[in-house]
Formats: sequence, structure tokens, C-alpha cells
Amino acid sequence: MLGQKLEQTLGQPRQTPAAEVPDGAGIPITDPLVIAKCGACHASDGHGNIERISTARTTPEGWQDVLRRMVLVKGMSLSPPEARTIVKYLSTHLGLAPEEAKPVMYDTERRIHDESDVANQQLVDACTKCHTFARALSWRRTAGDWKQFLEGHAERYKIPPHEGALAFFARVAPLITPEWTAWNNRTRTQNLAGRWLVTATVIGRDKYYGEMVIEAAGTDDEFKTRVNLRSAKDGSALIREGRSALYDGYAWRGRSKGGVSASPAPDDPANEVREVMWFASDQSKAEGRWFWGQYQEFGFDVRLQRAVPGDPRLLGIDRTALKTGSQGERIRLIGDNFPGEVTPADVNLGPGVTVRRIISHSATEIAVEVDVSAGALSGRRDVAFRHSAIEGALAIYDRIDYIKATPESTLAAFGGPGQPRGYQQFEAIGYQRGPDGKRHTPDDVQLGPVDVTWSIEIFYATADTKTDTVGNVSSTGFFTPAAESPKNNFDVWVIAQAKEEKDADGKPLVGKAYLVVTVPFYTFNGRRYVRDLERWVDDGPVRAGQ
Amino acid sequence: MKNTSLTALLVTAASLVLLPGPVSAHHGWAAFDPDSTVTLHGTVTDFHFTNPHCVVEFDVKDEKGQNQKWQGELTSLNRLARKGWTATTMEAGDDITLTGYRARNGVLVIRISKIAVKGRDLIVDMGN
Repeated sequence: MLGQKLEQTLGQPRQTPAAEVPDGAGIPITDPLVIAKCGACHASDGHGNIERISTARTTPEGWQDVLRRMVLVKGMSLSPPEARTIVKYLSTHLGLAPEEAKPVMYDTERRIHDESDVANQQLVDACTKCHTFARALSWRRTAGDWKQFLEGHAERYKIPPHEGALAFFARVAPLITPEWTAWNNRTRTQNLAGRWLVTATVIGRDKYYGEMVIEAAGTDDEFKTRVNLRSAKDGSALIREGRSALYDGYAWRGRSKGGVSASPAPDDPANEVREVMWFASDQSKAEGRWFWGQYQEFGFDVRLQRAVPGDPRLLGIDRTALKTGSQGERIRLIGDNFPGEVTPADVNLGPGVTVRRIISHSATEIAVEVDVSAGALSGRRDVAFRHSAIEGALAIYDRIDYIKATPESTLAAFGGPGQPRGYQQFEAIGYQRGPDGKRHTPDDVQLGPVDVTWSIEIFYATADTKTDTVGNVSSTGFFTPAAESPKNNFDVWVIAQAKEEKDADGKPLVGKAYLVVTVPFYTFNGRRYVRDLERWVDDGPVRAGQ
Repeated sequence: MKNTSLTALLVTAASLVLLPGPVSAHHGWAAFDPDSTVTLHGTVTDFHFTNPHCVVEFDVKDEKGQNQKWQGELTSLNRLARKGWTATTMEAGDDITLTGYRARNGVLVIRISKIAVKGRDLIVDMGN
């Protein structure tokens, strides 16, 4: 439960009222530009506190939204460099501790996320009519500031004030928390420059392995990057270059681009991406998402770990599962700094899996031949090269019991005038039933992608319904909606039928994903709404020509 | 909100975030006729415990003994989960009796209002 987790993260603030800042107090502002620009309208208390600013903390995106509103609504005059400086200062001195930011990182990473498990569901229902609940939980405020915010919010958006909202937010998201105090007291010296090892996954396409070289660019917290990745599937190279900034000592925000094509295909990983990553406080690793697309529907799931010269490091393997009793299977271990001499004893694939021989090896790859005993227990195995291990990297299975088409429920969008389409990549994932012998239970073993044939089926379709009105799905599971909107939403099954695996009756295994293909925008009561992730955005009054 | 001038203003700052708005994006229930209720007895062939709607696929024998492929729609996973439903609430092969509203266009789909699996009545939330 997100709310409960948050309360745990914040260390039961109800029991620590002394940590709360009295109303009227706050976090002093010391930056001259922030004082000059914000202090022009917001009063100062003579102790460095500026009203409505010193009493709130949030992410870089949160502060950027505030600046946007101040420019649009309040007529604040701000140049791009000034905006950058102010967002940087506020995100660092009035940001979130990593422990506070982590539970809501999916929002910044632009992932569709089910928020139905938050403790206060009534409040969630009220907030998520317009935005993610994570957006609200990305803020920390004094009780007085929460009160002012909620009253202003209700007035601005003409919504009834929610009974209990103030008590909830004041309790779970106060301005001063033990995590923030601890984070503030740690050293903030950044030393991200150097070579990092990268593991990146693009759903439905491939796993990539390689390196990111980070160089300081101008100031301490701005960087140039060069990423060199290699596909685990076909060995093709992907080179990306970019620039990034680090906020509050851990929050990486950047952009990068790869390839030479001026207009790559929508799903081409060479497209320009926005990078959102979270560096560990010891600066030894990072994780996040690099995403692109009209609806941010494409993305790399990325993990970084700092390269250590001379240290052999296993990053991944090119297989996800092996069947019991299989013999002479070839597996490639991908990594960094593998030594010149390698023996089968250096590689461990867990119980029931024997490394027969080393086929080949280099500094970044070791190919091995393995046997799986017929009696090996189904389940996940750690894979290790000497002391470098990856937990649960390989699954051993006796049979594939069912397949899932994933994501199991999602969205795509038709195109429209000035509105690019929203695509969707699907994957068919095999599962073994797990120790309890029952399908669709938590102990089921995920086995990785299965070779399938893809098709679509429209809900309520009659005999004369043509699926190409809605779109088509490629042989690789890539759904392309129709270029022209049929001015209606469609619910569609995206169906994966296994080419080889069959059920107990000898029929091919089938998995279905629930896809809603939406119009790109619609008008209602004179206002225009456009899609953003899984919800509609009020784009303002309908203008001439729309 | 999408505002190109401000986007340009802040383009080199942190990543942009749009203000989300008020409507979810799946179909409503207008495709079903509340005046056309049917009760069916059959066998589950698949159960999709998913958003935005949970779906039961089931076979019903017609008067000639041939299997007809039917689909029954329920509310969302989130709502049913709060009523105690899980992905294993029903499985292929389970005996099932359903009552619901038929699709207006005549296809073999119903919006489920009552459901019993293996003789046990389940709580159905008729929300969206």
C-alpha cells in the first residue's frame, strides 16, 4: 500500500510532531535570483523565509510546474537560464530525500501505474480524477501550507474541498521529515564522472549491454554522456550522446540521442529520449527509464553500475530459461573485464545445471555449453561468474503452462491533425505453474519471451467489422493504430498464439492483452481534452480551427 | 497543459510534465441493453482479471449441442479485487451460471449482473 509505505518511509510522523516546522517558519532561501524573482510577489519574514516557497518541498518537475504557472498565470518574467537556475536551486534545497522520491518515481518515469492500493482510497479517487496521486505525494508542506494549497486548489479548479485531505497530507507529507534531515546532512559532493556499465531492456525488442561514459560539463552537476550499447540478440551497436543534470544529489534528468537517421521509425531505440534516473546515495549504481514517443510509450528500463578497473563483472545472459533434460545448450554471459583465462568452474548456473565447456571467451563475453538434468527442480537460478552474480537470472522449467500477452491492459491512440499516433509494443511471456501446481498464482515462474503469432480482435465485432479500421499488429507484437481516427474508442484483444507450446488438450497456448485504442482528443462542454498517459488532459477552451 | 511558448522557455530545464485531466479512456456500458436480460449456463474457457474490465470467456451449448463462444464483461480489476476476487476466482473448466444484459448489436457478449461459479454466488460490482 503506497500510503502505508509512505508513512513507514516517513517514520510515523504522527509520533514525531517536534519534527514539524511551526506555521510561519520554513526553509530559508539564500539564492539571490530566487529571492529577486519570487520575492517580488511573495513576502519574506525577515528570517530568509519566503511565503509559500520556504514551506514546501518537491521534485524538479514539481518546481518546474510551479514556475510554469507563475509565468502563465501570474505574468512572471523569466529567461530560460534563469528558469534553470531557479529549478536547480529549489530542487536541491527544497527537494525530496531519495527515500521520499522513490515511492513516486513511476510518475516522473512516465510509467502507467495502478494506484488502487493506496490506503486512503476515497482521497485517491478524488485526486486521480485529474492527475496521478503520485503528483500529490511528490510534495511535502507544513500543515499551514497544505491548508493554503488545498483551498487554492479547490477554488482554482472549481472542485469541492475533500474532507480529510488536510489531515491526511499534513500527517503523511510534512515539510520536515527524518529522511530529509538526514539527507540534508550528508555530503553532496558529486563524482559521477567516469565509466559506468549499462543494462538496458526495451520491451518486445531486446536487451542491451554496454557502457556510459559520463564527463563533467561546465558545473559540478551537469554532464555530457556517451553511451555504447550492444544488442544481446544480434550484436548490433547502439551509440547515444546526451547532456544531463543532477538535482539534489541523486535525481538525473537528461536527454540523449542515438543513430544517424533523421527520422527513425517510431519505435527505433535511436530516437531522442528523456532520461530519468535515480543514483544511489553511495553513487555506485543507478536505475531509471529513458523514454520517448507521443505518449512516452517507448522506453529503455535502465540499470547502471560503476565500472571498477580490473574487476570482472557479469551484466546478464542471453537466455531467460532452459528446459529440464536439455543438453548442449549454448548460453552467452555478457559482462566487463572478463579475464584471459576462464574455466567451467568459474561459471555457476545453479543446481541441476552443469557447465560442460567454455566455447569461447573475450573481455566482454563468455559462451558456455550447458546440460540441464532431467530431474532439476523448476524455478529461478542465480547466475554467477566468480564473485559477480545476478539473482534469478535463469529459469529452469519442465513445461510452459501458460502465456501472457503483456502489458496485460494498456492504451494506444489514433492519429489526428497535428497529433501523432500512440503505439504499443506487446510481448508474449511464458510461465511455469510454480511449486503450488496452480496457474496464475504468485509462485509461478516467469520464463521470458515465447515465439508466437499475433492477431487482434475487436470487442463486439460483427461479421462485417474490419480490424484495419482500428489498426494492425505486426509479427513482432507491435501495434500500430489507424492513422485516421474513426472518432470512437475501441476495445481490442491483442492475441498471442504460441507457435510450439500447447495445452493439455493439444491446442496452442493463447494469451490475450486488453488494449483500448482511443481517439487522440475530444471536445466536451466547449473544452478540448487530449490524452496523457492513461488519462485525459484538459487542454483549455476549443479554439478556432480545432 | 500544452503550451509551446512555455515549453520553449523551459525546454532545457527538467523534463516536462503535463497536467492530467478528468476522464478515463475505455468504453462505457451503452453497448448493452438493460432491457434484454439473459441467463446462461456454461463452462469457463478463460478468465481475464484485468483493467479496465475483467472478462470471462465461456462456452454455452446451443439446442443442437454445439458450443457457442460467449464473453461476459465485469467491472474493473480494482473494484473486483476489493470484493475479494483474484486471478484464480475462476479457471478454465469451471461450471458457471451468469445473468446479464446482452450486447445491442447481437454478438454473444453480456454485461454480467449476477454470476455463480461452481454453484457459489460471487459479489458483482456493477460500477464502471
